Amino acid sequence: MLSCLGLRKDYVTERGAVAAVAGIDLQVAAGRFAAIIGRSGSGKSSLMAMIGGLSRPSAGSVVVNGTDIWDLTENELAAFRNRRIGYVFQFASLLPTLRLIDNVALPAMLSRGPGRNGDAGDTYARASALLAQMGLGDHLDAYPSEVSAGEQRRAVIARALINDPAMILADEPTSDLDEQTEIEIMDELLAVNRERGTTLILVTHNLALAEQAEQIIHIARGEIVE
Amino acid sequence: MTAERRGLRWLLASLALQNLGRRKARSFLLIAAVAVASGVVFTGATLMRSIDRSMAVGFTRMGADMMVVPEGALTNITAALLTVEPTDLVLDADLFAKAQLTSVSRAAPQKIARVEHSGIGSHHESADLIGFDPALDFTIQPWLVEKLNRDLQPGDVILGAGREAPLGSQLLIFGKPHTVYGRLGKTGVGTHERGVFMAFGTLDALAMSMGGHGGGSPPAVLQPGKVSGFLVELAPGAAPLQARFAILSTLKGVKVVTGDSTMSGIRQGLAALLDGILALMVLMFASTALMICVLFSAIVTERRGELGLLKAIGARRSQIVGMMVIEAVIATGIGGALGVVLGTLVMRFYERSLVYYLENVGVPFLWLDTPRMVAVAVGAIVLATIIGALGALYPAWRASRSDPYDLVRGEG
Ligand SMILES: Nc1ncnc2c1ncn2[C@@H]1O[C@H](COP(=O)(O)OP(=O)(O)O)[C@@H](O)[C@H]1O
Ligand SMILES: [Mg+2]
Repeated sequence: MLSCLGLRKDYVTERGAVAAVAGIDLQVAAGRFAAIIGRSGSGKSSLMAMIGGLSRPSAGSVVVNGTDIWDLTENELAAFRNRRIGYVFQFASLLPTLRLIDNVALPAMLSRGPGRNGDAGDTYARASALLAQMGLGDHLDAYPSEVSAGEQRRAVIARALINDPAMILADEPTSDLDEQTEIEIMDELLAVNRERGTTLILVTHNLALAEQAEQIIHIARGEIVE
Repeated sequence: MTAERRGLRWLLASLALQNLGRRKARSFLLIAAVAVASGVVFTGATLMRSIDRSMAVGFTRMGADMMVVPEGALTNITAALLTVEPTDLVLDADLFAKAQLTSVSRAAPQKIARVEHSGIGSHHESADLIGFDPALDFTIQPWLVEKLNRDLQPGDVILGAGREAPLGSQLLIFGKPHTVYGRLGKTGVGTHERGVFMAFGTLDALAMSMGGHGGGSPPAVLQPGKVSGFLVELAPGAAPLQARFAILSTLKGVKVVTGDSTMSGIRQGLAALLDGILALMVLMFASTALMICVLFSAIVTERRGELGLLKAIGARRSQIVGMMVIEAVIATGIGGALGVVLGTLVMRFYERSLVYYLENVGVPFLWLDTPRMVAVAVGAIVLATIIGALGALYPAWRASRSDPYDLVRGEG
């Protein structure tokens, strides 16, 4: 269960302060599929970043399962990003010098840490299963530059799932893909939401897609509009 | 390839390594710059310590700045050593102790007796018996190349390089048994080469035996409290001319003999050179650290997106900083090792001319022994990696403070 209260994000620029998110209250129940829509520049990405623990709010709170994530310490917040959130960015977001399998395994490796319990072999087995599930079973050892944009995005989804997060945050994950690939990627995300019960918050311009959501959040100029 | 087995550290280290490989030209320049710095530090430190040691031995060998002998005594001056020629003229042994000259830091008394039929060497060979005060001496003992593993005792003798006898063996002088305590290195000075050295007491004790051998009365210098002359080291900063004047005006019946005046000039020059090398090394250290800091600020800026991404998927700040620092440490470590190799090659290449030059000016060049050389090499490499770590630490630490979203957006 996610709840935001009085959430604000002000950017200080040369031309003065920009209120990218200007006071948003919002709740998303666990396991839901929520769509965020709104024009470009309306503050969707800023909102998602605050929910995902990537950008500190200027004011307000983000409470996930009873914990205000912005009250956590630096390391606790890192653990929150690592365990609870799977983030799918608007842009290519794989590390170019790592193979797909390493990219996917990385979040799990980070939280295992050196010396912690758990077997790296296990992690890699899971990573390769996830990649196979995303149709990339033949590309485990490929580097990101060696596969298509759509395949890269699938690998990102696999990475988002490696720690079995409670919530997937996808910020226009298909904006740079062709229509057919977009449909395939969206199907993967919806399947994850349905089959695993993972909360899915999706920013999209695709209204047909948003219609499928259980909850639609419409944002304009940093505020929720009905 | 084997992150499956080796885990996160390996993954982050290989990430760092691959990051270096991404910008080959830049990494190469970084490594080259560090190699130059580490090479300078390594060769500088090695030469400095070698020259320092050589000087420590060499200049105390040369030791004396001047020599004070009885008026009318003959003297022998060489580039390497001042010696008193044996004469019958003597001075009081406590001459300098009484005079308390401020321009003199040390004055070592010596007795020299040239004797025949002593039983040393072949029958008619004349031998120089040289007495010194072990506590005041600074020109003989530094020449010791081998000695017994104990302090010098009455009855012990030290042999010049030109005489052969095993350490600890017995040597009869005028029928009295003496123990060979040590042997001197080659001094290039005849009297010393074939000399037999001993403490004053040991030499004085021979006076009786000499008389008994029918050689007439023993030399005057063997009387207790009398010496043939003094080897004098000036106090730091004392001008030779003034010291000479002070000695002549205070002590009566003496002559002051100075060594080759170019020697002290070279000595000062070398000391200044060593200071210069030290300053250069400190500057090198600082400028390399700054350069790496600037470079890594740029590298971190260039990689904000990836660092932000790492943070977004849950990397802790320490892991982000660690990754950048490892990258710097790998590069500077390679550079450091390369510098040591280059430095070694350069030193090997110039070894002949360097050693030749130094020996020409009277400094017998002694290379650092291998363990010390290895220690200096390891020190240079460790220093390079520390510079790398420090240089990368600040920019990485600064970047790791930013919100991941600002990093991936290229701001903050
Ligand atoms: N780091 C930033 N600095 C300054 N202004 C920003 C920054 N990020 C976003 N903005 C501004 O805030 C507003 C909202 O941006 P964003 O959250 O990216 O909207 P959306 O994702 O809906 O396009 C825009 O006007 C954008 O220009
Ligand atoms: Mg956006």
